[in-house]
Amino acid sequence: MSVKEAQANWEPKILVFACNWCTYAGADLAGLSRLQYPPNVRVLRVPCSGRVNPQFVIRAFQRGIDGVLVAGCHPGDCHYVTGNYFTRRRYLLMQRLLQYVGVDPERFQARWISGSEGPKFQQVVKEITEQIRAMGPNRKLRDAQ
Amino acid sequence: MSDKVKKMQEIAREILEKGEAKVVIGWEKGTHWYLSPPAFIDKPEEVERLVWDDFCHNNLSKYLKDYVNHEGKVAIFVKGCDSRAFNRLLQDKQIERDKVILIGIPCHGLKDQDKAKELGENADIPKAKKCVECRYPNPLVYDYFIGEEKALDEVAAASEARDFSDVEAIETLSPDEKYEFWNKQYERCLRCYACRNVCPACSCRECIFDQTRVGWIGKANNASENQFFALTRAMHVAGLCIECGECERVCPMNIPIMLLNKKLIKDINLLFGPYDAGVDVDGKLPLGHFDKNDPEEFM
Amino acid sequence: MKRVGVFICHCGSNIAGAVDCEKVAENAKSFPGVAFSTDYKYMCSEPGQELIKKAIKDHKLDRIVVASCSPRMHEPTFRRCLESGGLNAYLLEMANIREHCSWVHPDDKEKATWKATELVRMAVAKVLKNEPLQRSTIPITKRALVIGGGIAGIQAALDIANAGHIVDIVEKEPSIGGKMAQIDKTFPTLDCSACILTPKMVEAANHPNINLITYSEIENVEGYVGNFDVTIRKKARSVDMTLCTGCGTCMQKCPTKVPSEFEMLMTDRRAIYTPFPQAIPNKPVIDRKNCRYFTTGKCRVCEKICPTKAVDYTQEDELVTQRYGAIVVATGFDLFDHSVYGEYGYGKYKDVITGLHFERLINASGPTMGKIKRPSDGKVPKDVVFIKCVGSRDEAKGKAYCSKTCCMYTAKHATLVREKIKDSNVYVFYMDVRTPGKGYDEFYTRTTDQFGAKYIRGRVSKIYEKGDKLIVRGEDTLLGRPVEVEADMVVLATAMVAQPDAAKLAQMVGFSYDQDNFYTEAHPKLAPVETHTAGVFLAGACQGPKDIPESVAQASAAAAKACGLLSKEEMPTEPIVSCVNEAICAGCGMCVPVCPYKALDLKVIQERAHGKTITRKVATVNSGLCQGCGACTVACRSAALNLKHFTNEQILAEVDALCL
Repeated sequence: MSVKEAQANWEPKILVFACNWCTYAGADLAGLSRLQYPPNVRVLRVPCSGRVNPQFVIRAFQRGIDGVLVAGCHPGDCHYVTGNYFTRRRYLLMQRLLQYVGVDPERFQARWISGSEGPKFQQVVKEITEQIRAMGPNRKLRDAQ
Repeated sequence: MSDKVKKMQEIAREILEKGEAKVVIGWEKGTHWYLSPPAFIDKPEEVERLVWDDFCHNNLSKYLKDYVNHEGKVAIFVKGCDSRAFNRLLQDKQIERDKVILIGIPCHGLKDQDKAKELGENADIPKAKKCVECRYPNPLVYDYFIGEEKALDEVAAASEARDFSDVEAIETLSPDEKYEFWNKQYERCLRCYACRNVCPACSCRECIFDQTRVGWIGKANNASENQFFALTRAMHVAGLCIECGECERVCPMNIPIMLLNKKLIKDINLLFGPYDAGVDVDGKLPLGHFDKNDPEEFM
Repeated sequence: MKRVGVFICHCGSNIAGAVDCEKVAENAKSFPGVAFSTDYKYMCSEPGQELIKKAIKDHKLDRIVVASCSPRMHEPTFRRCLESGGLNAYLLEMANIREHCSWVHPDDKEKATWKATELVRMAVAKVLKNEPLQRSTIPITKRALVIGGGIAGIQAALDIANAGHIVDIVEKEPSIGGKMAQIDKTFPTLDCSACILTPKMVEAANHPNINLITYSEIENVEGYVGNFDVTIRKKARSVDMTLCTGCGTCMQKCPTKVPSEFEMLMTDRRAIYTPFPQAIPNKPVIDRKNCRYFTTGKCRVCEKICPTKAVDYTQEDELVTQRYGAIVVATGFDLFDHSVYGEYGYGKYKDVITGLHFERLINASGPTMGKIKRPSDGKVPKDVVFIKCVGSRDEAKGKAYCSKTCCMYTAKHATLVREKIKDSNVYVFYMDVRTPGKGYDEFYTRTTDQFGAKYIRGRVSKIYEKGDKLIVRGEDTLLGRPVEVEADMVVLATAMVAQPDAAKLAQMVGFSYDQDNFYTEAHPKLAPVETHTAGVFLAGACQGPKDIPESVAQASAAAAKACGLLSKEEMPTEPIVSCVNEAICAGCGMCVPVCPYKALDLKVIQERAHGKTITRKVATVNSGLCQGCGACTVACRSAALNLKHFTNEQILAEVDALCL
């Protein structure tokens, strides 16, 4: 396959860190409701958005992910009472830091998606996929491979 | 010899003679006139090695970590930034207050080593950048104070508010320009970890970058791995950095590390309210608590 | 070598309709560690599970990936399957290729198959790093603690005690009974409150399974579900409970008079006192702040007069620690301090009182023997104005919420005024009349239609004195014109608010509370009496404004939950908890404030270093308290903390596998 062909066949890869209790359930609900979205999204299940270490996010960019979404319960609804408040603090900073070193804001996003928000899950991942598709593959922070 | 140095040596001698502490950590003259590295003095007759001049940059508090298991007390000299570092280590439970004797020195600001080397001994050497922006020149905590009367000898802060113009200059760049800038910096990084080793906010027993089993970071030296290191370290010292600037001073590649740390300090202050690390030992850490009314951007 | 078995489920056509399952199974064979891979129509069915079990045996599989529906659906099923196939249940990972793949990508089989393959690769990468985990059990201490001795606490204690468990009630006042003891009659039946409460108080006091610990407060709570170690401060009563017979002579002879809190300061009690005549225990305490002996060193009248020599000035507060399996929190409410409403002249006008003052005024055992007399001059009021929503539904000055009970008790008060003072006029200023509840609206209708209370929709803008009258000025918003009523007395329906020390108790026990300091239930609909802390339950108005029937119902519900827990000898614990690598932990304690369950703490360990024994601090996880959220793992910079089953290594492996 030529380089040109490879580029033409490029499909964005989006990683979603989803908390088990809200966003993962919201993604399940999107499935149950047969809400279609682009097949570029991979959901990685964690107990709580508070479990998502910023190092996982950088690692994903290093290895070639084109966009990362961290998603959890809405503030006040955390299954673990306060986990997402820490997520919010941490990723408010992380988001700004990533932009500061040149990562395009579209490539790292955070959202609150509850277990009843199947349509919101669909809409968010659709939006992100389209944004990333328009931007092309991520080259920033990527390792050499 | 200045009165200050005389006083320093007097106090150090007294402490060692009386056996109040087994070792006194201060500064001494190094191999060049523009270097004043740390001195570790355990005999009263050696106190004359101690100096206080424009190049006593080393943040001595970090060395206290090496003495946690030693019997008896350790005495150290602290400038404003050393005292904030001391508070930080205290807050992280890495040292015990009653095992340390602090000798406070108000600091007028130190001179830029690199410029000194370049311009020569007789030139007018500019202040180090971190000292130009210093807001805490006086020790915040001490047992002894170098100076006659505290009120008279205290130094006015070099700067009232922080100067973020360097951070802002980068913020105005486009994403690609920013990436270009940082990528260039981190292509040069040797991952010698000098920045980490000297940092009073880096108080881990075993740094994740030394944990090969988990594989947080690859062995390869390339911009990608180096940036993983830089961003991770910036996040790890977020809310803990006391702006002593030692990381940047010791970097053999002159990477502007403080530009990352200051970015986080700027955002922490902007998002979560005014905060100065190492000032209030009993306060909550910015990433150790939250406010239900924190800014909401993830709707 | 690890040997992973991969099982791709068709889910009939649910998955196979959009994903080429055979191809996914084929692709999986090339993934590192995979020793066996196959697909089947219904993996969760009996033959499907047998297929897995047989493959475990035949192919010596030591970890399993099932690609099927959501793990939220069938993870327990397949975990059981692994166990009966001889593998540890936690050596399973699931790839969700139904909800997250076939159902959302029905029209592009190629891409859906590609995605399913990648999801399986992630699961394989993760399962290679799974460790067998053991569920353990923790013993349950068969003793319950009820905090608060109001009607909710009493009811919860009685229900738990009747189920055969020992219960301690800790009450901070000298007597149990709570706010209900102050109330005269109860809506909508107008039963006498004391007549229905005091028998319950006596029953609690006499119950062989119930211990009353009155005049006591919670000092500290440690431990976790099944094993709470609670320290209780028994305040010095200055009266020996074992000697005192409750004859009451001391209370008659005590020379010091103090305004009675129980009577809303409208009459006096003595410095040695029981809060009210029906108090339980009916044995007095000395109020040391006001007692003449304690303030001046002279007096000792009660000591001299006491026939059993029960008075003991040397008593000190006593701290006792007891272990409990379950805790019911029933600390009740307080009343809104309406002094912020200057327009109602509180503090200035003696005849502007609260609903609870009014309860005492109409109570036969109250300061006026049940005759409605206004506080200023003892005259029987003819014109009485009630103002509702004082502090409730007022975000600017009070609370945003509705206090729920005021509509009904104001209707009750209006009825009682009309009943007791035949020629009286009653005016009620209201925002809305809310009467959901059995028999409630009927009661309200009687108040207006039969008893002739005049309801005026609108807020009162000002109250001022004119002679011996109070002029109440407001607006009738239905008629759209100002109204002015000459009143003899004004009664404010003040909001119910959380107890002043509500937040402190919640922090001590370790559960959450809302912006108004009411305690937060685990789920507003499906877990209304549980808290987020296992083994801690809520009853009554500490959770939010409630009337008596609701409080009692919630108390019985909380008791049922507590009994469910106490009926077991031990309970299984989830093994997905955080763990500490002590060799790495620096003991900085940054993890401690992040844990919502107080599961993290620092402990001192000893170790050998440089030829001598040294001590240092490290973090420790209480696996009974840890719920496995993993927040601490991110707070820990050196990754000394890790979450089992969602380890750093596992998540990094998933990320890496996704990027291949």
